[in-house]
Amino acid sequence: MKAKVWGARGSVPAPGPEMNRYGGNTSCVELELSDGSTLIIDAGTGIRSLGVGFAKKLPKINILLTHLHLDHIQGLMFFAPCFRSDSEITIWGPSSPEASLEERIARYISAPLSPVEVRELPCEVSFLDCPATEWELGPARIRAEAVTHRGPTLGYRITDGDTSLCYISDHEPGLGAPLETLEREWISGYDLARDADLLIHDCQYTDDEYPEHVGWGHSRLTDTLTFARRVEAKRLMLFHHDPLHSDDFLDDFFGNAVERWEELGGQRGSIEMAAERLEVQIGPRERIPAAT
Amino acid sequence: METQRPLELILARNFLTNLSTPALLVDSSGGIIFYNEAAGGLLGMSFEEFGHKPAAEWTHAIGPFGENGEPVSIEELSTTKALRRGRPAHDSFTIHSVKGDEYEIESTALPIVADGGQEGAMIFLWVKNGD
Repeated sequence: MKAKVWGARGSVPAPGPEMNRYGGNTSCVELELSDGSTLIIDAGTGIRSLGVGFAKKLPKINILLTHLHLDHIQGLMFFAPCFRSDSEITIWGPSSPEASLEERIARYISAPLSPVEVRELPCEVSFLDCPATEWELGPARIRAEAVTHRGPTLGYRITDGDTSLCYISDHEPGLGAPLETLEREWISGYDLARDADLLIHDCQYTDDEYPEHVGWGHSRLTDTLTFARRVEAKRLMLFHHDPLHSDDFLDDFFGNAVERWEELGGQRGSIEMAAERLEVQIGPRERIPAAT
Repeated sequence: METQRPLELILARNFLTNLSTPALLVDSSGGIIFYNEAAGGLLGMSFEEFGHKPAAEWTHAIGPFGENGEPVSIEELSTTKALRRGRPAHDSFTIHSVKGDEYEIESTALPIVADGGQEGAMIFLWVKNGD
């Protein structure tokens, strides 16, 4: 599998020259499976650029949404394949007893928030609640489970052959819990992330910032690193960068993260920062530098 | 593969951990899967020492006991009956700490119901006879 980051920012898009290296687009990851097919995880503003580059002959597109906060769905209305009558798009997301996935997304893609209504999209689009059990899309087995965040939020584990990616973009596993010593049965996301070849995980706050953001649904650095070590992920990608964190800030943040990771027993070179256009081969170790 | 508790129970445990009100967390079978420090103070033993126990075992150890001092079957408690119907319940009974201290208790039980059905319940305890 190959993962490409199209948006690594959390909460709100954060453009600007001081954000260019890590990028200002919100959450979106493209996953190329072993048969060449594509899965898209989250539809933040990063999906807009992804859509521009899609081949004119479109395969069926599956988009897995972790949750419906705007930073994870805002790009849907600007995803080019949505406006092609020959594309077939399936959008997966968390279930709700209140309304269907389509109805909940339509709260955004409808007046007055949008000039376009969901029903007007030219593509053939379907909205499906993620099953409670594992399901298959092409060569991949997908597993979705609820994780600790504000509102119904999923993490995903995608397995293709013997390679696994776990994506938990918005997660606060340490909320009210001592992650270092907690029994693993009590750790949100544990089963989903255990032994993943690559764990893409929320790491929005420094430890110093976290006290003012407890309960906001995002992780501080210590908790992200501890979670990754507890689940024994082989590689960790820090994701969902705070919109106030500039490139220089994130460089320092990463330097600190690397030191702390190795202190916790993490392998040198097995931690990285998500950045727009970063491509990562999952499985055999090969990192493709982001295009500049 | 399944190691992790349902998210609703994880969040409930995290919540109870941070309360000063004695509280227990039970699973769908009625077994105690956690109680907080305040409850440990009441019972005279931390949860880490007490350990996971099915209903039959923990009731034998700590109660509840009826007005006549005799053990009350967990099945006879109005709380149990209500929880099995997915309903909250308020009850009164006596419990013993592991050291033999006796407490008259009021309890409030709240079922935890998720998409997949009832996962368990939170049971809050209030001592009736003094602070």
